[in-house]
Amino acid sequence: MNQAEIRKLIPAVRVVINAKHRRFSNPKGPEGRLMMMRKTVTELVKLERVELNYQRGDEARGYAERLIASAIKNGDCHIPTMEMANYWLNEKQLVHKLFKVLAVRYRDSTESYTKLHKAPNKYPGFFREKAVLELKGNPFPPLEPNNSSRNWIHNILLEEAHQEYIKKKLKEEETDN
Amino acid sequence: MVGVGARSGAARLFGVLQGLCRETWGCQARGVATRASTRVLPFIPTQDPDVIRKVPHDFRVVYPEFLPNPVPEWRNRLREKIERKDMLARRSNMPIPEFYIGSIMAVTVADPNAAGKTNRFVGICIQRGDSGLRAWFSLRNVIDHQGLEIKYEMYSPLVQNIEVLRLEKRLDDELLYLRDALPIYSTFPSDMETEILQEGAPVPVNPIKVQLKPRPWHERWERKNLQGVRDLGLPERFYKKAKLHEKPWEKYDLMKEYRATIPEEEQADIFREISSHYPLLESTRRRGKRKRVLPSLS
Amino acid sequence: MALPRLQFITHTMKNLSIAPVCVSQVRAMSRVKRRRSLPPFWWPKSTRTMYPEHITSQNEDFLLDVVEEKYSSPLKVDPWERGTFKERSMRCGLIARKIGIYPMWTKDGSRLLTTLLQVSDNHVIKYIPPEEHIVHGLKKRYRELGAVVVGADPIDPRMITKEYYNIFSETGVMPKKKMSKFLVTPNAKLARGTPLYASHFRPGDYVDIAGTTIDRGFQGVMKRWGFKGMPASHGVTKSHRRGGTIGSGGDKARVLPGQKMPGHMGRERRNLRGLKVWRVNTQHNVLWVNGPAVPGGVGSYVYIYDSLLPHRKHTEENHPPFPTFFQDEEDIEEELYDEQLHAFHLPSIQFAEK
Repeated sequence: MNQAEIRKLIPAVRVVINAKHRRFSNPKGPEGRLMMMRKTVTELVKLERVELNYQRGDEARGYAERLIASAIKNGDCHIPTMEMANYWLNEKQLVHKLFKVLAVRYRDSTESYTKLHKAPNKYPGFFREKAVLELKGNPFPPLEPNNSSRNWIHNILLEEAHQEYIKKKLKEEETDN
Repeated sequence: MVGVGARSGAARLFGVLQGLCRETWGCQARGVATRASTRVLPFIPTQDPDVIRKVPHDFRVVYPEFLPNPVPEWRNRLREKIERKDMLARRSNMPIPEFYIGSIMAVTVADPNAAGKTNRFVGICIQRGDSGLRAWFSLRNVIDHQGLEIKYEMYSPLVQNIEVLRLEKRLDDELLYLRDALPIYSTFPSDMETEILQEGAPVPVNPIKVQLKPRPWHERWERKNLQGVRDLGLPERFYKKAKLHEKPWEKYDLMKEYRATIPEEEQADIFREISSHYPLLESTRRRGKRKRVLPSLS
Repeated sequence: MALPRLQFITHTMKNLSIAPVCVSQVRAMSRVKRRRSLPPFWWPKSTRTMYPEHITSQNEDFLLDVVEEKYSSPLKVDPWERGTFKERSMRCGLIARKIGIYPMWTKDGSRLLTTLLQVSDNHVIKYIPPEEHIVHGLKKRYRELGAVVVGADPIDPRMITKEYYNIFSETGVMPKKKMSKFLVTPNAKLARGTPLYASHFRPGDYVDIAGTTIDRGFQGVMKRWGFKGMPASHGVTKSHRRGGTIGSGGDKARVLPGQKMPGHMGRERRNLRGLKVWRVNTQHNVLWVNGPAVPGGVGSYVYIYDSLLPHRKHTEENHPPFPTFFQDEEDIEEELYDEQLHAFHLPSIQFAEK
């Protein structure tokens, strides 16, 4: 009690997670919640980009990250990892995809394996926080445009100010010496 | 951006801003009690190129109280650092040996009311808990047909000496079932001698299967998946009921087990931080050179 | 009836300034507003709305360099004269963060829990002399006192409004996240920008701590008021955790104000009096204060003052560093322990044979 579990060594999850789990009230209770998460993780591994509600996506993200991390760390000959992948992925070809494709893709990565984008909500209508959960390195076109702001006016002006600042500093150093 | 360990401009000030980004704080500033859970930022290991010392693989098992309580609401890196420093200071005065649940230990405490002002108790370690300076363990023995359990705080200055008379592990993580077992399994002589293990030998696991007394018990042991007890011999209805209470999905709940642990990188960081005290800590693990006597019944 | 009589007693005893410890105090306090959902109207808005600015990382580094350079050298101000301690002098307090709780032991072996409070980057923001210090409804004995405004925890100046930033323009320190005013006697005045450290308090001093308690939300009557509830079985219908009766009926024919009922619990300001400081770490600016009951959770701010308790007042022979401990000028050990406290580097406690 009040002690960290030491039986397993678990690598750090590289995303922001909630301190407590979300309950996701379900007729089957906690088991139903896990089955719901399983479905989401399976879909994510299969389709590599899923659109869902933010809460579900955020919760499933943790599970997906942990699954991929353990696949990378232990490989496919490690029996507990295989059992875990077998439980989490409802379709059995996806177990192969996890170990042969995703583990290889993210083997040298130091960042998170997933990205959770906030998605627009259909208006008018009941407001639900929508999100898109995707695996990094997926074959689809990027969701958010990668506009480089380097040539924007304020960045150019700041760069010039930076150059002037450096010159001023050098001058001051010369006068000091 | 460069790796966070490097002191880039952003890292310098950023560490100061935003409510000290490495920490998680409770929702104190909100208008109303929010149901929103605190967000836990990912742990970023400090890259310490100077300390290439390897962390011994079993450090977390031998010194589990150096790992903090994983609940994010109560964590603070500075306080944990200060606490570990105090723990090491205490250990330099009173070395705490390596022990596990199932090891037989003898603890001497200062007692103003006892003859000779000290009190020695021998017992089997049935439980250990808490982290940091609150770390404790419980010893059980049966003396004059009376079962006794004493809880000792490991870092209390009243504790004079902790010896491990027999270093071994059991098949279970908690031996609370010894309360319902036959007394022979919890009886240890007070003048027991230290059994010394071979240097470098792994910690032996005692595969003993304890026999429980007939019901009533303190707990429903049939629901606890105990490895170290003999067949309970209960009617079928107990096992049926136990099956209804089982939660077989919990072992697949990756996030539940993650939230209960300290991540690998953070553990390495913590143990690297106390690496300068390794020689002191290692010396207290005390494995002698003579061979060990074969284990008896209990 | 017992209750009105008690109220009568408290009314006459007011002049004797003996605080009544009875249930009528709860009834009187029920009308007081204990939490505010908005800050006071006279406070300036502190943080500004942040928009994504798409600044390149190099420019971001440059801006941070500029900010750091601005606050790297302290303002050159003429040092103020430092007052000396006299009886009934009041010096300023500190703003700290609660960082945790852990046990410590005294030299006779008794265990106590101590709360660790980190005095994080405190600086004096300004001093308000008594003539300028105007507070509506301030008691007569406080009217000769000035005020020292102390700030804690720096915040990026780019994240705050101009009005808030201007408060700190003459202090020479980065703008602060948290500020508090401490009433002081004029001899305890401190110049703007003076750093305040944990060494302001010594082990053995007694402090009062004010803080906001943990927010427990809407709580029932058992947790909030300690009611005993009703049995789980034996015919009790739907009333296991409820309050039961709420009135006496008859003449009163109404529910009296202050009736204990479910409601919002926590997130209130509470003061703890007379906590002993057991240990001070001057390197990390941490205080070890008696007990686990400091209001607030880990990470929350608390305000620490010298104790007002009559038996804990400081005397001229044994007074704390006045007006504060200037750690930049004087040397101090890293760890300071109270005499009664068992420091962990000391050998185990042993009782001597008589």
